[in-house]
Amino acid sequence: MSREALQRVVAFGGSLLLCAVMVYRYSLLRPPYFAVPATLVDHAGVVEHETRGALILVRQVEPLIPRGAQVTAFRPKNGQAWNDNGVYLTAVGLLPHHSVLPPWTASADRRDDQLIEYVIAVGHPFDHPSYAPMAGFPRGWLYKRR
Amino acid sequence: MTHAVWIAASLLFALFGIAPASVDRAARLAIRFATGIVIGGTVMYLESLLGIPWTRIGLAVPMVLIAIWSAAAWPPLSSTQKSGGVAAALPIGTITLLLIYGIATARMTCGDLLYFWAPKAQHFFFAQKIDTEFLKFPHYYLMHPDYPPLLPMVYTWCSIAAHRFSYWGAAFLTPLYLLAAVLAFRGFAAQKIGERRATVSATLLAAVLAFGFAEGHTAGGADPQLVMFEVIALAALTFGDAHVIAAIALAGAAFTKVEGAAFAAVVVVAYTLVRRDWRRALVLTAPAAILLGSWILFARHHGLLDSYGRGGTPLHTDKLGLVLSVAAFEARYHAMYLPWIVSLAPLALARHWGRAVLPLLVAGGAIVYTIFFYLHEPDAVWWIRASAERVLLTPLAALVVASAAASD
Repeated sequence: MSREALQRVVAFGGSLLLCAVMVYRYSLLRPPYFAVPATLVDHAGVVEHETRGALILVRQVEPLIPRGAQVTAFRPKNGQAWNDNGVYLTAVGLLPHHSVLPPWTASADRRDDQLIEYVIAVGHPFDHPSYAPMAGFPRGWLYKRR
Repeated sequence: MTHAVWIAASLLFALFGIAPASVDRAARLAIRFATGIVIGGTVMYLESLLGIPWTRIGLAVPMVLIAIWSAAAWPPLSSTQKSGGVAAALPIGTITLLLIYGIATARMTCGDLLYFWAPKAQHFFFAQKIDTEFLKFPHYYLMHPDYPPLLPMVYTWCSIAAHRFSYWGAAFLTPLYLLAAVLAFRGFAAQKIGERRATVSATLLAAVLAFGFAEGHTAGGADPQLVMFEVIALAALTFGDAHVIAAIALAGAAFTKVEGAAFAAVVVVAYTLVRRDWRRALVLTAPAAILLGSWILFARHHGLLDSYGRGGTPLHTDKLGLVLSVAAFEARYHAMYLPWIVSLAPLALARHWGRAVLPLLVAGGAIVYTIFFYLHEPDAVWWIRASAERVLLTPLAALVVASAAASD
């Protein structure tokens, strides 16, 4: 076999091997393998992506929030707000007509007049006496300040 | 339908681009697409600086003029180079379809698309300009306010055509970037090493990049666009001296991500060392320096400086061992270093190493500046784990270019 032929075999063989590993790595990212995904991150990892719930819920609650209103989004921990940057930043892109602010604007230690108007609670209920649930969905709730 | 219109609008960039007549038709289209993104993006950037809103008419007028100039000044003369036919299309097409499968089944979406590229594009679209009020809002600090704006401008261009932003559209630009990189590379390489060897190397490049894009979860992020510009710039200089194309591609790289500027600097230094033509090196530098320099001044004027304002950040050289070991671990790509092995194997069998000096220098330089960036973070482990598989695509691509250049 000539050197050029050997280089060809090595290059094509390497490409084939990479493709095979690519298919194997795809298979590790959970079935189904031939269904239209509900979100962009359905199979982004071996566990559910941190933003998947927000990608579904925010689109559902968006029509219920007046344009220009202040809103935050997070996955409550023990019913409380925390620096859930992944969900919060994702909401900024999904709500371009609203004023999306960080989750601390709904924290328990803020005065009532400092609290943000709307809270999108992803995955778990939000437990704050100044907020009442406005709408419920399979992936979470929309809360409005009382 | 919106997603299809959104993606299709990106192809219009090919009307504003330029390409050498010496490469085959597929490569010309690919190079026009890439250079068109830089030229079109520059028009959008200038309009934003001048206060001209990004409306359909506001963009169409200069773009049509540029398209007319491009068609007149860089006519599609017939070339003796062939596009490779089925022999080239089949393997590259198959690899591209594999990549498309990964995107379509949501297996490689980049988190950064959700966290800041899409939010920026959305707000630029509605503001009809680079929205400095959005960028400098203190609560959006995590969105890297001074990151170069080319990618969000590309997304905004497509959104203007489709009347709305498309997350799926952004992800599906990845195969276009892959094809542009591979076909442009093949076109340049064929001039020096012949069509058959160029097709073989292009197949390998497609496999390496597609694997890296998938494993690094890059769909919708800036890395595919960055790698496209890097491959085109390096191929243009390695297999000839298409310095105008290379200069535009380097400007595109510098205007896409922070590491793009480092790549451009490494290429210019390597080019000067190898070709010993400092005048050409200045030509290579100029577009990138002008674009990025003006952006840094713009960012400083509007109080956006963040990444580019960290010149005084200390270097944590005591962490060198840790950074090297974590980066080396992540470089395995969960595949026992297979991308490196298949990129280097053809090079090991080659004899003409002298032809590969430029891309080899660039590969080494890319690794050095990557480690250099990581050393600026006191706790870089999380950063390396989140980014190494993407940023190491640059030296990997350079090694494939080197393998092709040195082939028999």
